[in-house]
Amino acid sequence: MNNVDLAIIGGGAAGLAAALSAVDDALRIVLIEKDRQLGGILNQCIHHGFGLHQFKEELTGPEYADRFIQSLSKQGVSIMFETTVLDIQKKEDFELMISSPKHGYEHLHARAVILASGCYERTRGAAIIPGTRPKGIMPAGSAQRYLNMEGYLVGKRIFILGSGDIGLIMARRMTLEGAQVLGVAEIMPYSNGLTRNIVQCLHDFDIPLYLSHTVTHVKGKEVLEQITIQEVDQSMNPIAGTEKVFDVDTLLLSIGLIPDVALFDGLPMKKSPTTRSAYVDQHLMTNIDGLFVCGNALHVHDLVDWVSDEGKKAGQWAKRYLLSPSHAVKDLKPILLGHYVRYVVPHHIDMNDCTEPITLSFRITKKMTAAYIKVIQDDQVIAQRKSAYLAPAEMESMIIQPHQLISKNPIQLIVEDIV
Amino acid sequence: MFDYIIVGSGIIGSMIARELSRYDVSIMVFDKENDFASHQTTANSAIIHSGHDPKEHTLKARLCVEGNKLYEKLEQELDIPLLRTGAYVVAHGEEEEKLLQILYDRAQANGVHNIQMITPEELRQEEPRLISTITKALSLPSTKVTYPWEVAFAALENAVKNGASIRRNSHVITIEKDHNNFKMTLDDGTVWLTRHIINAAGVMSDRIASMIEDDVEFVIHPRRGEYLVLDHRAKDAFHHVIYPLPTAKGKGVLIVPQVHGNILLGPTSELVSDPEDASTTMEGIRYIKEQLRMLSDAIPYEWTIRAFAGVRATSSYDDFYIQESKTYPGFYHVAGIDSPGLTAAPAIAKYLVEEVINIRASKKASFDPYRQKRTLFHQLSEEDKYRLAKENPLYGNIICKCERITEQEIIDAIKGPLGNDTIKGIKKRARAGSGLCQGGYCEHQVLNIIARETKKPKSSINYDGQHTPILVKETKTHE
Repeated sequence: MNNVDLAIIGGGAAGLAAALSAVDDALRIVLIEKDRQLGGILNQCIHHGFGLHQFKEELTGPEYADRFIQSLSKQGVSIMFETTVLDIQKKEDFELMISSPKHGYEHLHARAVILASGCYERTRGAAIIPGTRPKGIMPAGSAQRYLNMEGYLVGKRIFILGSGDIGLIMARRMTLEGAQVLGVAEIMPYSNGLTRNIVQCLHDFDIPLYLSHTVTHVKGKEVLEQITIQEVDQSMNPIAGTEKVFDVDTLLLSIGLIPDVALFDGLPMKKSPTTRSAYVDQHLMTNIDGLFVCGNALHVHDLVDWVSDEGKKAGQWAKRYLLSPSHAVKDLKPILLGHYVRYVVPHHIDMNDCTEPITLSFRITKKMTAAYIKVIQDDQVIAQRKSAYLAPAEMESMIIQPHQLISKNPIQLIVEDIV
Repeated sequence: MFDYIIVGSGIIGSMIARELSRYDVSIMVFDKENDFASHQTTANSAIIHSGHDPKEHTLKARLCVEGNKLYEKLEQELDIPLLRTGAYVVAHGEEEEKLLQILYDRAQANGVHNIQMITPEELRQEEPRLISTITKALSLPSTKVTYPWEVAFAALENAVKNGASIRRNSHVITIEKDHNNFKMTLDDGTVWLTRHIINAAGVMSDRIASMIEDDVEFVIHPRRGEYLVLDHRAKDAFHHVIYPLPTAKGKGVLIVPQVHGNILLGPTSELVSDPEDASTTMEGIRYIKEQLRMLSDAIPYEWTIRAFAGVRATSSYDDFYIQESKTYPGFYHVAGIDSPGLTAAPAIAKYLVEEVINIRASKKASFDPYRQKRTLFHQLSEEDKYRLAKENPLYGNIICKCERITEQEIIDAIKGPLGNDTIKGIKKRARAGSGLCQGGYCEHQVLNIIARETKKPKSSINYDGQHTPILVKETKTHE
């Protein structure tokens, strides 16, 4: 099969949902997965807490993935396992260079592509943590994989840098397996993980969280022996005299996730410096006609349920693009960001194609205990709601109905802190 | 009994081993680490300098210029990567232009060809990201970049092909004179006899020398250099090696395009007491960024993937120290090999063997200068990729997706002539884990392939050294 209508890259939460919603008798769809099984990172997330919004129950990661895999197995979607996409080029259609042990190196042509390739963990190198480079420093997700998929602990005395959710989950998980977790340091004055994870993974196990702290030194020639953490001032500079030293054999990093969009390299893609992924319109389509992005490859979500929602939308919009494309000339208008709004997805709206509700997903820059979220067009508030709690670590959304738009002028998203 | 034991398998020890393997002599190379070429050779600027910087009439000047030329031949013989970047030394204003003229004259005197002074306009045509305050530049077209440990591995592999022996985890503890020979004891208790010793122990060379010599003529003053690495997505930012004007401390903080598309920024230059203290520091990284403002205000730091440091074996002697011991004939020191050591390495080996040792053994007719070519899947043509992956499914299995490394290349790194069974060893040989995610995606796969190919338990697979297992405790063991 070297010609398809739709190629979906990535069989994790986003790709599975996209495949399910794109299914149509008239379309040849292929789902490309680099692993031997579907589910992506969900397979190593054996803790529960997934699916509260999708299924109104608490599932583990593999259970959550399985719901989608079961549904998909009844549909006529071809799945290519153990297949890596190496490059995408846009000619008449999309040309994908793919490679697998089974079929070797091939070119695959697709009329449309959904990129659902997830994200990767920010590394020590990107954060530049000073000191030696011994064994024992690794991203929290890698330690999670070794523990939950391979059955091994990577260390016995652990410190965690960054309060991202994976780090918090791993603090609990490693404690339960007999390791000693000495603390979690977060450079920001607030936690970057979900509140429920701070409570259930740190507080319940008496693991200290050091806010406004970072690791300033790593010691150990061959294996990690010791780390030093320090408090930081408002400009993130370490404060002398606040050093705390921990003898540890492992430093886990949970310092951020970055959309994996390496496949944009061969394409004339416009990228956002904030999300580090593509600019998309309300149909999750990039500036390249027929290329859609969703899930953590578009922006990093904190709940898989929202990833599935976004994947589902990408599948629907890709299907519409293939079966009943809009022929109207696009009229892209940017969504302007008000104070405290770090980013919003989509980045712009095609004003000539507003027939369905538009979901704005966004993150803010400071914690608020009460706030108004408002959408403004032509100096008028066209949509608003009140929120009792907003935090940088928790993604927010706001839905605009097509009839709420009063013109084709740009809209602005603002958040007003109620003090 | 060996004719020659070489202490140290860095670029110097490896090149000497290969040079000696042309002759009918028995050779052993010791390295104290769990892998070869683990120190200075893995942490330097990777530049094959033209020879514009060393003072006239020094060994450094002569061997740098000779070494630069020898790399052209090594590229053919050893299948090593060379990136012909050329270089610019840049000056800001009249005072610096005077110093640039001194460098120009020095380059001429050292025998560096095709050099040229160029205007800032010409410079920015070639390197638009350089800063506009630059008023003049010296162009050095013979400057190149290589992949240093690959060169050491290639030389060592070729030496082995031609009869040399190599031994890892071989830490020399004592050296004694034993009649006409030397007796060396290693920390594993083994004792070795040799007619000659070549001390190529880098930052440890003064310690090796003092194991037997009373008056060592050089002392190593270890100098640490820190670097930043940008991902290959920053590739198009700079195309040439960019030098500021040199200072007393060294060649300054440089911009160096790398053979795999990365950009290297550095080094700092700081004396350290521990010769193996390759820590990075906040001050060091800050210094690099500060210094680079003199070269460019458009460095794409957002692609930073790694910081590292190396320690240079700078010595108290004001040149390379390549001499036979005065008290113990047959004991040769190749010491104080700091910059331009990588460049000079093949010429140092030749100089040592032909002029210092003045070797009398006959040349072997069977010497084969060629190293077997390796398959780098992502560099093949589309047709070759298609054909090869059909023939061998292991080429179809991409393990490191950032750098596009296939399972067969990982296996080659494990089972090749200089095979290794550690995560870092495979990274050094196959580049798996050298990209944007720094092994986040592929480290567990590499670990599993090593365990499978070496038939060792997963929990015994090391990160680097002999006692550095990644997996420390199995959670669900079968009772």
